[in-house]
Amino acid sequence: MVNLNAMGIVFPNMHDSVIPDLTAHRTMASVPFAGRYRLIDFVLSGMVLAGVQNVGVIVKKNYQSLMDHLGSGREWDLARKRGGLKIFPPSGYSSYEYHGRIGALKGILAYIESSKEKYVILADCDVVCDLDYAELIERHAASGADVTIAYTKEKMTPALMNNNVSLAMAPSGRVRELMINDEQTGRRNLSMGVLVMGREFLTETIRSAYSRGLVKFEQEILAKNLDTIKVYGYEYTGYRSRIADMASYFDANMQLLYRENLNRLLPEDRPIYTKVRDEAPVRYTVGCKVKNCTVADGCIIEGEVENCIIFRGVTIGKGAVVKNCVLMQNTAVAPGVRMDYVITDKDVTITEGQYLGGTRSFQVFVKKGSTV
Amino acid sequence: MKECIAMLLAGGQGSRLYALTQKLAKPAVPFGGKYRIIDFPLSNCVNSGIDTVGILTQYQPLVLNEYIGNGQPWDLDRLHGGVHVLPPYQKASGSDWYKGTANAIYQNINFIDSYDPEYVLILSGDHIYKMDYAKMLDFHKTRQADCTIAVLEVPWADTSRFGIMTTDADGVITRFEEKPKKAESNLASMGIYIFSWKKLRAYLEQDEEDKKSANDFGKNIIPAMLDSAQRLVAYPFEGYWKDVGTIDSLWEANMDLLDPSVPLDVWDESWKIYARTPAQPPHHLSSLAHVENAMITEGCEVDGEVDFSILFSNVHVGAGAVVRDSIVMPGCVIEDGAQINYAILAENVTVKKGAIIGSRPEHMEDIEKWGVAVVGEGVTVGPGAKVGPKAMISQDVKEVL
Repeated sequence: MVNLNAMGIVFPNMHDSVIPDLTAHRTMASVPFAGRYRLIDFVLSGMVLAGVQNVGVIVKKNYQSLMDHLGSGREWDLARKRGGLKIFPPSGYSSYEYHGRIGALKGILAYIESSKEKYVILADCDVVCDLDYAELIERHAASGADVTIAYTKEKMTPALMNNNVSLAMAPSGRVRELMINDEQTGRRNLSMGVLVMGREFLTETIRSAYSRGLVKFEQEILAKNLDTIKVYGYEYTGYRSRIADMASYFDANMQLLYRENLNRLLPEDRPIYTKVRDEAPVRYTVGCKVKNCTVADGCIIEGEVENCIIFRGVTIGKGAVVKNCVLMQNTAVAPGVRMDYVITDKDVTITEGQYLGGTRSFQVFVKKGSTV
Repeated sequence: MKECIAMLLAGGQGSRLYALTQKLAKPAVPFGGKYRIIDFPLSNCVNSGIDTVGILTQYQPLVLNEYIGNGQPWDLDRLHGGVHVLPPYQKASGSDWYKGTANAIYQNINFIDSYDPEYVLILSGDHIYKMDYAKMLDFHKTRQADCTIAVLEVPWADTSRFGIMTTDADGVITRFEEKPKKAESNLASMGIYIFSWKKLRAYLEQDEEDKKSANDFGKNIIPAMLDSAQRLVAYPFEGYWKDVGTIDSLWEANMDLLDPSVPLDVWDESWKIYARTPAQPPHHLSSLAHVENAMITEGCEVDGEVDFSILFSNVHVGAGAVVRDSIVMPGCVIEDGAQINYAILAENVTVKKGAIIGSRPEHMEDIEKWGVAVVGEGVTVGPGAKVGPKAMISQDVKEVL
């Protein structure tokens, strides 16, 4: 694999507001997903697999868990002398809290300018996918575009209406109209929050936009200048889940109970890297009953479990019956507990004999560190 | 300067593991779902606060070298110290293979001297146990010993398989016998020694002068120190310890992880066993799966039955397949309807549809012919083929129509 000649810039706090329960103490990027990952793992691993070796992460708030997760970037092979992972806390250059992508990028302008890569990939973390960033860059270069936006065709849902950038394109793929939080129903072309452009184009745009008080890249720069800026769409048709609210988060996890989906999102030859926790294998005891579950390491399962996504280090006691749940890291379910349609955040304890029940459309959520 | 560094003897061929050690040294043999044998002594070192480890390799070192790498998974990538793989090397005076355990250390005197340690811990890479070497070092210091040997009480019937120590009331070793026919004691050496480095250095040099010496710790160094009235003390260890040098003992030690009454706990957060692991997705058990009393790790896909067994990473068990009382190493594929009983499948074995490997003791007419079946790395067992109990397979087995 060669250097892709592209750098990555990740925005962990974009879309924090769509799942306030899960982002109360963390960024969108560090929301746990699929048993052993955080949302940012898919972005970083995808970039690294494509040959990106220089990634900046611009954090805004609540980023302790993200810093802890990323460390030096070693697990993504991004602990490097040249390039590698750089985390930019707010107020690095000036003493204000930034607004919009432009504001965030303005704060790290010197870093972007001193980088050597020809292209820049800007990426949010709310779409879980197996995007081929190398192909995206290739298409961007071949089309002669100033900016290429990766998008997927999606059926509009109420949750997506509040949080989308949609594209209307000419047959050539050139974007003719770019709409923010468009409410039209039916199948729409929604941006994945992944944009590619030349590094110099980006730095020039930041300078000129910032001096004119413009901070929103898509809304204030791209949407209003589609005649002069050549914006192209790149359709991604692979497996993905858009996290737009708690229900879609739950569903995105549950989809991974289907092995076909698990293999499409996490193909054997395209590993998704994450922080290593050095957990032992899962221990299934005598008398446990487990059907249709996706389970990460370090768990001890003694009870009955069906249709669950089980994160690292979860324990489920004897006689407990747990169905249709997403149990995050270190959830401890005592013997005899019954749970149906529950999402537990990290370090939750459910004490003996409790019953917790939600429904398919509305899950009970137990917040981080609490004891029921 | 380091107070204590560890030297880990990992050159053993492990010839009694036959098909499992064709391409790798015994310490690199996979164990317990996501470990290799060497992870236990290495993790013990780190958990005991020892940050400098020399690993002496000789036989088939490729897998082990790559596995250890820079030592990062064990937190042994250090600026000063850390882990070093030490194969025999050429010197101005010529070059030699490691002739014995003591000679392996002798050939690396310069390595040890470069850290100027007070004490050297000698370990072997073929035992499964958890032990706090810091406590043993404290013991060595308070007893003002020249050499401390960790010992374990073994059943009297087994004494002929071990190096046996006789001690006085103070725990000072008075006699050492390698595999005695009639033992005086049932304290067995665990192959774990702490030496005061200056003393050991002198005896290694003296041993090297003796052309008739086997250059072995048990056979030569320890007896020589006893003869010259050095202070050797026994450090009594209580807890789980197993030599996994044979197919049966390797199978048993793995199965011990599934027995809640055996004090070998890899889930204990306070004494983690570290390993280098590939990035794999969580494992998936389908609605067809039936899993009980098993250890399963990341990357596995199970549609069949798994009972009293250990599946390493990336093992696939097809619908209607049955895996019982078995150890299935990374990357194995067990197709639909295959049956695995009392077997060890090495890495990347494929068992085609309907094939049968091993047998259950209750199904044997002659129990003498029963034993654990072993299928070597990369072997394909054809559809419907049968591999009997106690078999040792290192080549593909053809389809049976």
